[in-house]
Amino acid sequence: MYILLLPLKYLTSKIMPLLAAVAVLLCTMTVLTVWSVMGGFLDMLIGSGRTMTGDVVVAWPNSGFPHYQDLIKRLEKDPEVEAAAPMIESYGMLGLPTGRPETVQIRGVDGESFARVTGFADILWWRPIDKPLPKDSEGDDLRLRKLRTLSWEQVYQNGLSLSRVNPKTGEAEGGAVLGIAVSGINSRRASGVFEPSVIFRNRSDGTFDSSYDFMPVGGMVTLTLLPLDDSGKPTDTASRIIPVANEYHSGQFELDDKVSLVRLDIVQKMLKMDESPRVVDDPTSPDGFRIVGVNPAKVTHVLVRGKGDYSKLGASGPLAARVRMAYAEFAAAHPGEVPHSEDIRILTWEDLNSTMIGAVQKETSLVLFLFSMVSLVSVILVLSIFWAMISEKTRDIGILRAIGASRSGVAWVWLGYGLTIGITGSILGLAGAFAIVRNINPIHEWLGEAMGIVIWDPRIYYFTNIPSKVETSHAVIVGIGGVLSCFVGAIIPAVRAAAMHPVRALRFE
Amino acid sequence: MAMVEVRNLKKTYKLGRVGVPVLRGVNFECAEGECVAILGASGSGKSTLLHLIGGLDRPDKDGGSIVVEGKDLTRMSAGAMDDYRSGRVGFVFQFYHLLPELTVLENVLIAPMVHQGLGYTGARHEIRKRALNTLETLGLGHRLRHKPAELSGGERQRVAIGRALINQPRLFLADEPTGNLDRETGQKILDAIMEFRRRSSQTMIIVTHDDATAARADRVVRIRDGVLES
Repeated sequence: MYILLLPLKYLTSKIMPLLAAVAVLLCTMTVLTVWSVMGGFLDMLIGSGRTMTGDVVVAWPNSGFPHYQDLIKRLEKDPEVEAAAPMIESYGMLGLPTGRPETVQIRGVDGESFARVTGFADILWWRPIDKPLPKDSEGDDLRLRKLRTLSWEQVYQNGLSLSRVNPKTGEAEGGAVLGIAVSGINSRRASGVFEPSVIFRNRSDGTFDSSYDFMPVGGMVTLTLLPLDDSGKPTDTASRIIPVANEYHSGQFELDDKVSLVRLDIVQKMLKMDESPRVVDDPTSPDGFRIVGVNPAKVTHVLVRGKGDYSKLGASGPLAARVRMAYAEFAAAHPGEVPHSEDIRILTWEDLNSTMIGAVQKETSLVLFLFSMVSLVSVILVLSIFWAMISEKTRDIGILRAIGASRSGVAWVWLGYGLTIGITGSILGLAGAFAIVRNINPIHEWLGEAMGIVIWDPRIYYFTNIPSKVETSHAVIVGIGGVLSCFVGAIIPAVRAAAMHPVRALRFE
Repeated sequence: MAMVEVRNLKKTYKLGRVGVPVLRGVNFECAEGECVAILGASGSGKSTLLHLIGGLDRPDKDGGSIVVEGKDLTRMSAGAMDDYRSGRVGFVFQFYHLLPELTVLENVLIAPMVHQGLGYTGARHEIRKRALNTLETLGLGHRLRHKPAELSGGERQRVAIGRALINQPRLFLADEPTGNLDRETGQKILDAIMEFRRRSSQTMIIVTHDDATAARADRVVRIRDGVLES
């Protein structure tokens, strides 16, 4: 009983052990906060890795491959494949309403099949919503207001089909779905919602116009692409003004800022990858050439979504193997027309993000290692404080020995004291970490607004929000680590206390 | 048979490289229920003798024997010596030696906590009752929740007596119990000790340099330069 009583009495009567508990608190809080943010960052990377690509990608970049419809049919016959969708990936230029040309990655997609394979339908930003976001306490989300000319549902459907009705002709025109940050018009509020800002345009006389543009209603962009000929050389650029059907917000800044989706047929046409007559030179013909068949339309990618859950690291490998088998059959059916099955690139979502995932995994391990090293300070601190306290409490040790306490009993008083400090500091540290991580985004926004400090730059960290989830298993490991560090720090002083001679301890001045 | 039998007891302390003999072959006996005062000047070795009888220290190698109730302390293991100190001996020191973080009641209860180990939990109600009775008898019933720093010297020594007696030891050892108190308070402390002795017939050895204190014992032995005078 005295082994329990004395540590509690010492803890509440001295400042020094409270300082040790504060050191443990700070260490556990720091380690768990860092682990939660970095671990959450990794989880977000893994979670978002499939948002725009599906589980497996068949890729033949730049030049593309024909008969993709046949490949999609073959893939969708596989019992493990849920759906497949064509895509063209290219770089291009967008002329924006602000007058600023922006280099972007263009992905030509078919809205319907793209939505079946990816999370496209979920990331379209402009859509009907019933209530404000949890953070949007002021209810200032534009989507809660009514539009003048069309409904939010219509805007959402426009996004899904990547088209918008031209009010003059009454016809639906193929268009683009931009990443929410591409246009530079949408400003993000602290509540996490976006609102178009005023655009200023310079006039030739030195004055300027200002207007309030909302891209999905009247926004137009000039798309410029650079088609390649059969030998891979660039030919004349192709430009076209297209309407903006909607904008998406994936939460992954690199996508939201740099990737725009355009309806597949537009991209195919501009890159000369659409179906076209195949001609050969014929001097006998009045035109100098003769049509001998059809060049089938081409795409650079086919995206595949599997039926099971492929979100875990390493899970999508078997699906990639099935896709490779299906492609081999497809290549055999179109000899000489499509890339050889050994050459084609078949990549899982994990392969596509491997550089980033690997870097974050290593960075997480490194940061944890460094902070754990820093946490060793608490071991040394506890050791120093206990060493000093044992000198101060030498006479108490003598008293305990005089009334019959064993050496091990005296040692356990101090080890128990270390455990008490460790448990107290760790519990408070974990609670602090929970509070910080849960509120890390508001705290970060406050730091930015009040002090101009921006720690989490989305241009560096890819995501607009800081991860704010604490894994219970991480908390348990950090808590046990905090308690153990105190216990270890108390061992040497406890051994010293146990070794004291009772008479010399009683006579200690 | 004597309760305590000390034969040819020798103890040397080391000061740097020099050995300083403190006890030079002490022979001493104390019968069961007897109260013996060991009277001597400062540095005569009387406290060392008490520490050795109380199992707080060990004599020199081949430095004689201390037999208490038929058991030789010099042959006891460290664990057995701990049990001896906690269960069979009650110590009172000149400077009280109370634990400053504990209350009066806790300072008394710490002794049975050490003695009973895990068994304390089951017996805690009975022990607490006994501690309250002891403190009441010592006139400290109104000071139970006070810390030692809030008590007078006499009150502190009474708490120390309560702690020494709570386990009902067979042997009560007091090292200058009145040495830090004024004469009147010292007399009251001795009265309290004698009252307990009257009730429980404990064997007592009191070390003192004060003739008046020694006079309260059944028998007085004098120690000078580490040797007992008859």
